[in-house]
Amino acid sequence: MDLILPYLATLAIFFFVYNILTWGLNIQFGYAGVLDFTFITFVACGAYFSGVFALGPGQKSTGFEWILGLNWPFPIALVMGALAAGLLGIVIGLIAINRLRSDYMAIVTLATGTVIYGLVSNYTPLFDGFDGLAGLQTPFSQWLNINYNQFTYLWVGFCAVVMVICWFIAQRILNSPLGRTMRAIREDQEAAEAFGKDSVRVRLIAMSMGAVLAGVGGALLMGFIGAFNPAGWTSGETFVVWAALIVGGRGNNWGGVVGSFVVAVLVNEATRYIPPIPGNATLIPTVRNMLIGASLIAVLWLRPEGIIPEARRRFYQLPLLPGRRTPAEGVGGAGS
Amino acid sequence: MNLVIQSVGFGLVTASVLALASVGLTLQFGVTNYINFAYGTYLVLAAYFAMALSTRAHLPFLLAAVLACLAMGVVAVAIAKGVMQHFVSRQAPLFYLLIVTFGLSLVIENLVQAIWGPGFQTYNLSVGSPLNLGPFSLTPTQLIIIGLAVVAMVAIHLMLSRTSLGKAMRAMSDNKDLAQVSGIDTERITTWTWFITGCLAGLAGIALTVTTVSFNPTSADSFLFVIFAAVILGGIGRPYGAMAAAAILGIVTEVSAVVVSSTYKDDIAFVALVVVLLIRPQGLIATRGKA
Repeated sequence: MDLILPYLATLAIFFFVYNILTWGLNIQFGYAGVLDFTFITFVACGAYFSGVFALGPGQKSTGFEWILGLNWPFPIALVMGALAAGLLGIVIGLIAINRLRSDYMAIVTLATGTVIYGLVSNYTPLFDGFDGLAGLQTPFSQWLNINYNQFTYLWVGFCAVVMVICWFIAQRILNSPLGRTMRAIREDQEAAEAFGKDSVRVRLIAMSMGAVLAGVGGALLMGFIGAFNPAGWTSGETFVVWAALIVGGRGNNWGGVVGSFVVAVLVNEATRYIPPIPGNATLIPTVRNMLIGASLIAVLWLRPEGIIPEARRRFYQLPLLPGRRTPAEGVGGAGS
Repeated sequence: MNLVIQSVGFGLVTASVLALASVGLTLQFGVTNYINFAYGTYLVLAAYFAMALSTRAHLPFLLAAVLACLAMGVVAVAIAKGVMQHFVSRQAPLFYLLIVTFGLSLVIENLVQAIWGPGFQTYNLSVGSPLNLGPFSLTPTQLIIIGLAVVAMVAIHLMLSRTSLGKAMRAMSDNKDLAQVSGIDTERITTWTWFITGCLAGLAGIALTVTTVSFNPTSADSFLFVIFAAVILGGIGRPYGAMAAAAILGIVTEVSAVVVSSTYKDDIAFVALVVVLLIRPQGLIATRGKA
């Protein structure tokens, strides 16, 4: 019992964090159709920046060096991490989102992510290169006298509160006129532009809002683990969030919940506790990655709308045209 | 200054590898009209084929390389027929195809890792001592790679301009529907295109890993977007544009490695990609309707 409860609490934390991440990608891709193939970069941005705001100053002489190091309380550091990720979303969006075909978005996001990964890993004065940030005190420990297990339960609660706030943000965007505009652009960019919608601007907003949620998720991971380095955000991690969104169902946030439970918790996190096969330690993670890649393909093949499909939104049908499909009915399905 | 001239020589080697890879990608992109994000793993897979055939099955390296390229061509056709065809024939939205190839890259990379392990591999090849050719100093292997790329480019040019297959590929690249109503068997041409793409990816992958000496399952990850940069700079679906862009990018990245730092070599290619996208997104040789 002493082992199972902390383990379940850890899984709950990952479930809550991956919910937030999947909703973030949902805003970018599910709502607005932005192909962000470097989602994990925004997660890392949130984790790093929340880390350097909450950590003490790094010192080159001790081998730990990073920018800032302000010793701020963790909740404020979390907000700063989210803001930094949102800013990065705008910067990458400015390069990636233009009126060209969607291949370019995918190429540019993937390339930007690779370059940022290389820069952060090699340029030590920023976030200590490959060694990464480490030594973050458990948040709230300066006010509360608790041991590590108690902190884990506290963190479950904190993540749950943050998750509920993120849920309201994601739902609010989905049901707002802005969300409707995002879906219209996703379905038919030219038609939306013909109605006077600025597709580049709206997609930039979606990109940065999604990045903010990614940053929140990254900051929560940073606070829980207390350390973060480039091994934690290889490009493979982006697939986990993508698979969660596609498997669960894009365009609605309940799909994100189901997907993050199936992919991120059952497949990705729970299998980390299977003991390694003797003589071939990397086999289980390798098979797990293949499963995640294959699940992306299989879901698009068998049930492209995911486990929970996006609800078709019905609009008032003209009584003069009984039985005829109006163009409005097409909205809500999958577009290019 | 001497180092800079030297690096132009290395630039020719990189340009040769890049030309092989980007011509392969752009031919397929032109004909099928979607980009293959798993292309980088094709390069790696072929390198592992060649390694397995030469060091474990003890075939002569050249024979192993040729067999590996042909095998990669067959694998590329099998993936196109077995996976991509399902989505193409149902006219799935473009993003389905992009996500599927993205997922494929994860599957192939981990498959390679599961079979051959995550560690670094090498070929049993002696690189040879460098020869001094004018201002350049290149090893015989590097010279062979440059020669191979030139031969391959001439062969691609002859295929595109002289054979009915090449003409049909160009026709499909310009307008698939028009090509189809003109009596071109588009399915057969697509299959051949995938085969040629796979072979070129194989050649490029083996050439890349011979020049870097050691390689692991993720070796082509960062090279993939140098290939993307060359394809976009050259204009999507434009093999001659890709050749020119590969020459430019190959020399620019190697010279910058000397002038700036070799750590940031790929970043120069990225800057080139961004500049091209902002200034001339249609590439050196524009294709109408494909930007």
